[in-house]
Amino acid sequence: MKKLISLLLAMLMVLSLGTVAFAEPGDQADGKLTIWCWDQTFNIAAMEKAKEMYQEEHPDVEIDVQEVLWEDVESRIIASNGDTSTLPDITLIQDNAFQKEVINYPEVFYDMTDTYDFTDFGEAKVAYSVVDGHNYGIPFDAGTVVAAWRTDYLEEAGYTVDDLTDIDMDRFLEIARDVKEKTGMPMLSGQAGAVDTVMILLQSCGGSLFNEDGTVNMKDNEKLKAVVDVYNTMVAEGLFIEVNSWDEYIGTLSNQSVVGTFTGCWILSTIMSLSDQAGLWAVTNMPAMSGVEDATNYSNNGGSSWAIINNKDIDLALDFMQMYRNVDFYDAILPTTSAIACYTPAKEGSNYTAPSDFFNGDAIFAKIVEFGALVPANNTGAYYYDARDALGTAITNVLNGGDIDSELATAEDTVNFTMGF
Amino acid sequence: MSEGAFKKYGKRTLVYLFLILMSIISVFPLYWCFISSCNNTQQILGGRMVPSTHLIENLKNLFAQQDVLNAFKNSVINTVLVLVLSLAICSIAGYGFEIFHDKGKDAVMAVIMMSMMVPFVAILVPLFQMFTKMGFVNKYIGYILPSLSTPFLIMLFRNNARTFPKEVLEAARVDGLSEFGIFVRMFVPMMRPTFAAAATITFMNTWNAYLWPKVVLQTPDSITMPMLVANLLSGYVVDYGVVMAGVTICTLPTVIVFFILQKSFTEAVAGAVK
Repeated sequence: MKKLISLLLAMLMVLSLGTVAFAEPGDQADGKLTIWCWDQTFNIAAMEKAKEMYQEEHPDVEIDVQEVLWEDVESRIIASNGDTSTLPDITLIQDNAFQKEVINYPEVFYDMTDTYDFTDFGEAKVAYSVVDGHNYGIPFDAGTVVAAWRTDYLEEAGYTVDDLTDIDMDRFLEIARDVKEKTGMPMLSGQAGAVDTVMILLQSCGGSLFNEDGTVNMKDNEKLKAVVDVYNTMVAEGLFIEVNSWDEYIGTLSNQSVVGTFTGCWILSTIMSLSDQAGLWAVTNMPAMSGVEDATNYSNNGGSSWAIINNKDIDLALDFMQMYRNVDFYDAILPTTSAIACYTPAKEGSNYTAPSDFFNGDAIFAKIVEFGALVPANNTGAYYYDARDALGTAITNVLNGGDIDSELATAEDTVNFTMGF
Repeated sequence: MSEGAFKKYGKRTLVYLFLILMSIISVFPLYWCFISSCNNTQQILGGRMVPSTHLIENLKNLFAQQDVLNAFKNSVINTVLVLVLSLAICSIAGYGFEIFHDKGKDAVMAVIMMSMMVPFVAILVPLFQMFTKMGFVNKYIGYILPSLSTPFLIMLFRNNARTFPKEVLEAARVDGLSEFGIFVRMFVPMMRPTFAAAATITFMNTWNAYLWPKVVLQTPDSITMPMLVANLLSGYVVDYGVVMAGVTICTLPTVIVFFILQKSFTEAVAGAVK
């Protein structure tokens, strides 16, 4: 009997412990802001700076910046099923998923079309968080595409970075073949099955995987066909090396086994961390597709925007988010976070115009903000990632000898099936 | 060497070679994880397979970036709570379903078994809605309640209760021991290997749980070790040395528990009862 009583007491004890609560976040219009974002050295650090600058003027406002992974933000939005009581006041959302979240959970996101000034933000960047003409997101970090090249390898083959500036794809392939022949180095690398490069090229000519009405646009998408064809050519000729994982892709840069890369400007943080390669890199724009309508030398890959959540302290959140229209704020966060603004006036900040020692004195950040204003917009919609996955399969099949037309038709059928058509 | 001896030793050598190969394949991820926690990002990406001198630096950065002690404490509390309560509940349930079985209880057991077919992700949203209304979000009870009674553990105890000798049961009843007394004094000691196996499985599942905790535990104070490791991978620039140090700390308790209980675990899985 003693043992039984001990067991029951022990169970009672653990049960009572089970009801102990962790601190609850403030979730009403109570003069407190809870913010979710996910990268300590990047968006969290930026938000902490915004908090510090805002609290100088508003010392009574309590702001809690919490580290929550993007995948967790998404899971919690899904689990909330439209009930915003467990969500924060402000959360960061990946640009490519923004429209999906708003379409699936419209009651969660605050429509700030008439209450926030979106002038001076890059048009393409703002478009990521626009649904049916309404703005739901404040642009944060730019995913503006930069082409970063190793000047020593180019020099060895008789080229400079100017030869790779404002060029089209035909000229790029010509140079890439020549560089490979003279140095033995491939120009580019990327993760097999990941479709980053193809999507970058597609957006650079204003192309999307979806039409404006949300229907899939893969089968008869001439821009997409041209892009897949170029990608196929680059891989087949060894000008683009496919690797198995993201880590291996980063490895090709750190191990100095490629001439360069073109991807979102966030890659510069990684490149600049390779201190032994200081002075060996230059940044310019990407090659434009040849013979494709609306082709430009500018694109976007990745990035994120801030959403304000409904039924929270919206007035306070809107006032706080004015910080993202503040040139001094962007100038302050650049050295510590390398977060490059989508707010065009930020390029006038002293840190933006300062020459970069790593890039031989080039003011790369002001350059990237200028690139960002020239990026064409695209449609992402609710099924963006499904379409990317289907495209990845199609590209793999094309690389293995499949026909582009039939593979893209299959990819379109796959996405339509997912969408329930 | 005679032909017979050659056949015997040749076969044994092949078996050992196969086992050695399988052991290397099984142990390699752990080895790589531990080694990489002693290397920096460039060494890891460069494929270095021997330890370097960066362990202290990685640990220092890990503890500077994340509240490791708090996450470890949360993981320990959550796991111990679930372990104690689920073993108590599921063992009684499994014992009851087997010893006192009738058609009605068998039908209930069948329903419980069928619930194993429903993936957790399918009940995630309604469960979270229910817990929000009950005020269980960000509380230990919110985390542990869905894990307390699992069909698999009930089935494990029920199946092993079949091997519990009827003579012992009858003798205990004749001696005047109550039904709960029989469970506590006879069943529990005799089924130690089953309890060890159930403890190992529950420990691993709870310690490594990710989907439910990340939804129901929303404050930074409530973060668990797997959530902490995931946070380390969130940035544009990932320090793989720090990630591996985090993974090592997260993995060690599972490895230790498994080594302590592995003998009993094997016995229970093989269906042996002392």
